[in-house]
Amino acid sequence: MKPVNSLVLVGLMVCGALLALRPAIAHHSGAGFNTGEVKEITGTIKEFQFTNPHTWIQIIVRNEQGQPEEWSVEWRSPNSLARSGVRPSTFPPGAEVTMRINPMANGAPAGGFIGAKFNDGTTVGDWED
Amino acid sequence: MKTIRKQLLHRQAILRKNRALLVRGAAFVLAAALSMLPQTSSAQLRDFDELPDWSGAWAMEGGTVFDRATWTGGGGSITVGSRAHPPYNEEWEAIYARHLALRDQFRFPDTQSTCGIPAGFPRMFNLPDPVEFVVRPEQVWILTENGPNVARIYTDGRPHLEEPWGTYTGDSVGHWEGDTLVFTTIGLKGWRDQDQILDRSGLVVSDAVQVTTRMQRNGDRLEVKMIIEDSKALTEPWHVTKTFRKLPDGTRLYDYGCAENNRNPINSSTGQTLMLGPNGESLIESD
Repeated sequence: MKPVNSLVLVGLMVCGALLALRPAIAHHSGAGFNTGEVKEITGTIKEFQFTNPHTWIQIIVRNEQGQPEEWSVEWRSPNSLARSGVRPSTFPPGAEVTMRINPMANGAPAGGFIGAKFNDGTTVGDWED
Repeated sequence: MKTIRKQLLHRQAILRKNRALLVRGAAFVLAAALSMLPQTSSAQLRDFDELPDWSGAWAMEGGTVFDRATWTGGGGSITVGSRAHPPYNEEWEAIYARHLALRDQFRFPDTQSTCGIPAGFPRMFNLPDPVEFVVRPEQVWILTENGPNVARIYTDGRPHLEEPWGTYTGDSVGHWEGDTLVFTTIGLKGWRDQDQILDRSGLVVSDAVQVTTRMQRNGDRLEVKMIIEDSKALTEPWHVTKTFRKLPDGTRLYDYGCAENNRNPINSSTGQTLMLGPNGESLIESD
């Protein structure tokens, strides 16, 4: 499955550099995410909520028991992402993706977005192999 | 005869009463119409081509710490141990200390997280996301994407409101000194209703605050110098400077409907900022 079209691809290639200038998520307290830990999750995109005040990527991940579990990954506002080249189609439903996140400190299935890599090697956000 | 005379006298009395009502009504309508006219003085307005070019999109520099000049401790306004040092009196230093202690426990909520309360003035100079400054001969508008927030600064010579009642952006009037916009802002709520902060460390001022602001463009920077005076909270004027960087031409601002999908609501009884999962239930254990 091809997760992103070629037009978006060009934008995404410059995203990494632009995202280095990203402002902190300004809205909430920051109490939930453990910014000192990076967790990798792999699964299938359910929905990319390209909405204010922050975007959320809903992804279905198989847990240790092999059961599907829905994770919520919070990212910046759709406005600042749009100015960086990210689009609602950047995470299309059904796409297989591996994400790096700052997980919730309490172990809940959620985290703050760092970067993602699709099956075809396309990356979004901060991603170093 | 007596009956007819009585009726005549009665009709004359009604006519006199109606005339008086008419005169009073006309006076009321005239007063109302006059109050709707612009309260301008005879100040000479500049033409558009005599005004500085502040067009385009601008971004605040330095993160959302309100007073970077007196900031101590590392990180940003939510970082434990960091704070600003406005010239607070003892009473308001104690208020700030309480807010800092709550911040350190993640229990000092950002009032903006309610998605209904404006950032207000002068916090609108301390927001993420781009800002536009619309310069017209009779007024200047500050439009922040985040919020969104709008401030109107009248430059047509009108005076301040005689009796401002305390609002989020207050009442701003000013004038041009060369290419520098100079304006004063009064009638701010401050911390009166406990819903206006300057940054998320818990920095607040009182409803007696008034701000004198000077704004000037230097190349690709727009400098905002504020003198904040507050007879209830401060022992001396507090000087704060914020700068904005011009963003590339063509930068677009977007809609910001904060309530659209706010998954970080505030628990109003504890001040805790929650995080909602896909089913709408909090992923953080509520206090």
